[in-house]
Amino acid sequence: MLKFARNKVVSAARKDRDTLSIHGILDDDIYGLEVDLCVGIKDLQILSIAGKWNRHTTPECPSAIPYLQEVRGFHIDEEIGSKLNKIVGRKGCRHFANILNECCYAAAEAAKVVRWEDAKAARPDLSFEGFLKEEAAGGAQVGDSWPPSDQAGNAMPSPPPPHVAVPRDERHGSNPFPARPEPSSNGFVIDLHVHTFPASPCSSASADSLIEEARRIGLNGICLTDHNHVWTPEKVEELRQRHGFPIFRGNEITTDQGDMLVFGLERDVRGIIKLQDLRREVLAAGGFLIVAHPFRGFLTFSGEQLGLTPEKAARRPLFQFVDAVEVLNGKVTAKENGFASSVAASLGLPATGGSDAHEVSEVGTYATRFFGEIRTEAELMRALKSKEYVPVAFRRETGVPARENRPAEVQAS
Amino acid sequence: MSDNILKFSMNRCLSVERLDEDTLRSVCRLRDTFTSASVEILAGLPDLEIIGASGEFHHEWQKVPELDDILRKLPGVRIGAGMLKIIKGLVGEEDHLRQLTYMVEECCQGVILSLTKDILVQAPVSEEGKLEFFSKMVRDSIRLYNRCAAFAPGSRLVEGIDPNQ
Repeated sequence: MLKFARNKVVSAARKDRDTLSIHGILDDDIYGLEVDLCVGIKDLQILSIAGKWNRHTTPECPSAIPYLQEVRGFHIDEEIGSKLNKIVGRKGCRHFANILNECCYAAAEAAKVVRWEDAKAARPDLSFEGFLKEEAAGGAQVGDSWPPSDQAGNAMPSPPPPHVAVPRDERHGSNPFPARPEPSSNGFVIDLHVHTFPASPCSSASADSLIEEARRIGLNGICLTDHNHVWTPEKVEELRQRHGFPIFRGNEITTDQGDMLVFGLERDVRGIIKLQDLRREVLAAGGFLIVAHPFRGFLTFSGEQLGLTPEKAARRPLFQFVDAVEVLNGKVTAKENGFASSVAASLGLPATGGSDAHEVSEVGTYATRFFGEIRTEAELMRALKSKEYVPVAFRRETGVPARENRPAEVQAS
Repeated sequence: MSDNILKFSMNRCLSVERLDEDTLRSVCRLRDTFTSASVEILAGLPDLEIIGASGEFHHEWQKVPELDDILRKLPGVRIGAGMLKIIKGLVGEEDHLRQLTYMVEECCQGVILSLTKDILVQAPVSEEGKLEFFSKMVRDSIRLYNRCAAFAPGSRLVEGIDPNQ
């Protein structure tokens, strides 16, 4: 028996010499909606749009309709998918964004047919395939690519041999911190998970502002873990010197099994890497691998609804390939953090904390308390491997006001 | 030439069914003027992890010769937060792969929607009951806050909800 069905029908007709008329219907077990668009044939610009609900869930769903008008003027190109998701999907309704995506696909394909028919008027024997080849030879046309992409560059380069990271301080034997923050009697507390702009485009905080805030609230250090980004030792050294504050390097790498915090690997990993392959590289480099927010979004359905228990979750294969588990993460719910903590405990894996800060006010929400002073990357690596640390809710513990921002988006879309 | 004849038409059908206690099957089928394709995903429960993927793809001028190899990369990916980035990275975003990537995403969205439906069938019929039901839904899953117009600040459904708590 079907558990769920969704049908989408889209048709495109030529309204007049310059305009396409697109009609889209989405009908599924939960929602029913329709849209009508007029699109310019020459430049694939959305000239007008109308939409309506046939069925919806909440009493507030109708308030999504006005946001459809914000796509007027958009051109159907490679960016249209991300624009629709951001404007219509986030501000209005993602199901309208979904059917609009399909309508844009239909418009781009219909425009090809119309251009071919126009070309055929002068050359009746011109085949559709021949026409497309001529167009391709003449350069890419607007709207030739669909479904649209919201990320540039997807080629996954073959991995070079792993590079063993030699911490700068060991190579030069220098003390990297002119002004040493002393470890308090409460240990040496480092936020092991922060994101800076522009290294992480999703962050709004510069490295300088994060460091200043970390110092202000009494952290002993922070670790820069930008998404698939390798900080150079020179740049981090410059930041250390300028701020007189312990700053360490990490990298949040997206794998097929989710996000991993990696320490001690210098390779700039692009695209999505298999966790097993990343593990091999990290081991070869003498590095350390922490699974970040391992149950982010898991409990929406998998918990009570599907019966996922910490015992079952601990059997997930990914835990064979990590050295530690991030059990306090600032971007997930308390329930998800608690679940991660139970799983880490049942596996006997060390537990860490990190804010996952993308804004200045978030740094230090969670952090990791080490029991000795840590000055260098080599010392951090030794400390991580010693397993002698605990995750802490730093801001709450120290009475620093909680972050002011709402949780960042971590939904599937 | 008639202006009433369609220049392009498309049907996309997504279906989700429960194969057994531990498995959901989600299938996305596409038939349009140029394309005939289908993608099937098997999702393991309760983890919601992709445990199998298969498909076929026929297009008037684009081929996907590496289809089977691409789909073999998917098992192990979890359906949920962060999956779109992973799917795009594994399947690819070159022109000839975009439709395939989209269909894999649709299959995964179908799994999520099928589970959402299980919750939504419990919603009361009355307006007042619905307001209470969906408001509780946001409280229980704070990520829904400001996810769409219905759950945006100013909506009756999020009155009194502080996302920072």
